[in-house]
Amino acid sequence: MMPYYKFDYFGFDFSLVIAFVIGIGFGFALERGGFGNARILAAQFYFTNMRVLKVMFSAIVTAMIGLFYFAWIGWLDLSLIYIGDTYLVPQIVGGFILGVGFTIGGYCPGTSFVSASTGRKDGIVFILGILFGIFVFGEIFPLIEDFYYSTNLGRATLPDALGLPYGMVVFLVVLMAIGAFALAGWGEKVMSKKNWSRC
Amino acid sequence: MKNLFEKLTIAQKLALVAFVLGFIALLIGNPNNSNKITINAKELSLSTIKDHDKINVMTLADWIIKEKGDYTLVDLRSEKEFNEYNIPTSINIPIESLLNSDLMRNQKIIVYGIDDVTSAQAWFILKSANYKAVYILNGGLNAWKNEILFPKLDVNATEEQKAEFEKVKQISLHFGGSPQIISGGTATVVNQEIKAPTTPKISAPVSTGKPAAKKKKEGC
Repeated sequence: MMPYYKFDYFGFDFSLVIAFVIGIGFGFALERGGFGNARILAAQFYFTNMRVLKVMFSAIVTAMIGLFYFAWIGWLDLSLIYIGDTYLVPQIVGGFILGVGFTIGGYCPGTSFVSASTGRKDGIVFILGILFGIFVFGEIFPLIEDFYYSTNLGRATLPDALGLPYGMVVFLVVLMAIGAFALAGWGEKVMSKKNWSRC
Repeated sequence: MKNLFEKLTIAQKLALVAFVLGFIALLIGNPNNSNKITINAKELSLSTIKDHDKINVMTLADWIIKEKGDYTLVDLRSEKEFNEYNIPTSINIPIESLLNSDLMRNQKIIVYGIDDVTSAQAWFILKSANYKAVYILNGGLNAWKNEILFPKLDVNATEEQKAEFEKVKQISLHFGGSPQIISGGTATVVNQEIKAPTTPKISAPVSTGKPAAKKKKEGC
């Protein structure tokens, strides 16, 4: 029964090996998807290239359907899947800061490592920026600690929050994704005609 | 129809698959109902006979002092009772909300109520809901009070008993209790600094801060 780690099929040390292998695969998929290129990533924010949205939504839908059916068949205990606590306001603020950094630098933390590993200079500079940001965050953490831990909603999930069955949420998210794909395809045509982008 | 399907691009085909799977999911509803439980009766009865599922208050006190963090201590009483007094490091999950709690199935869980009855019920609920390691604090909070907070020594105790009591006394003082010596029906508090009456109203000791730490750190 999955998740294997929670059922002690292997220990902490070996879990790091597995994480490493999955990490390599993840990085490879990102790079092959074109996510090592800041122009493609940043274009998302100007709506000229919706690849980020498409890839992310595909990943979400694939994982969601996989988890749902695995749990239904009985291969997976959903209640053991780790879900981090939701700190509503701090996470909204954090998301905003990350978005600003993403738009300016053209990378999110993961893709900057993908980019740097293929030797792109902007990726390497971006990683230095991340390290500097971590340092600053560490230094000011005592000042923002109360805020950091505020509005804790605990283990928040959509089915709980909306009071809907899991299957209903799965279906709605699939509909949302298909709608987003259709909209993205149409939007790309319109936006690239207008030529808003400076990339 | 077949011709129509072949005309679609790969992306459209995948979208169609996702749509069909999503629609079936809609019909399935919830993948696993957490209220439905399965019981292996034999396994359950075996584990009760072996007495492996009980933990003594002394052992627990020792763990708390040593700050062992590999277990979660769960107080099954109501929130009001929990706020009046609770064993340090415990978290409050009233028995009725046990199955909706954040407890993980692979966690080591120690449950306690006022006595053994609630803990036994909770133990059964958790065990049958497939929680792997559930333990009962033997005697519950009553045993904690009698043996840890207010241990008693008879005046006519043997040397052995006295030596044993000395150890208990230290543990008791650590948890803010008051060990007593009983002579002819009246109890005398051993430690004069704590001016507690014979069976004093227990006050909550200063919380040691965070509840028992989660065993495995995760996140991205």
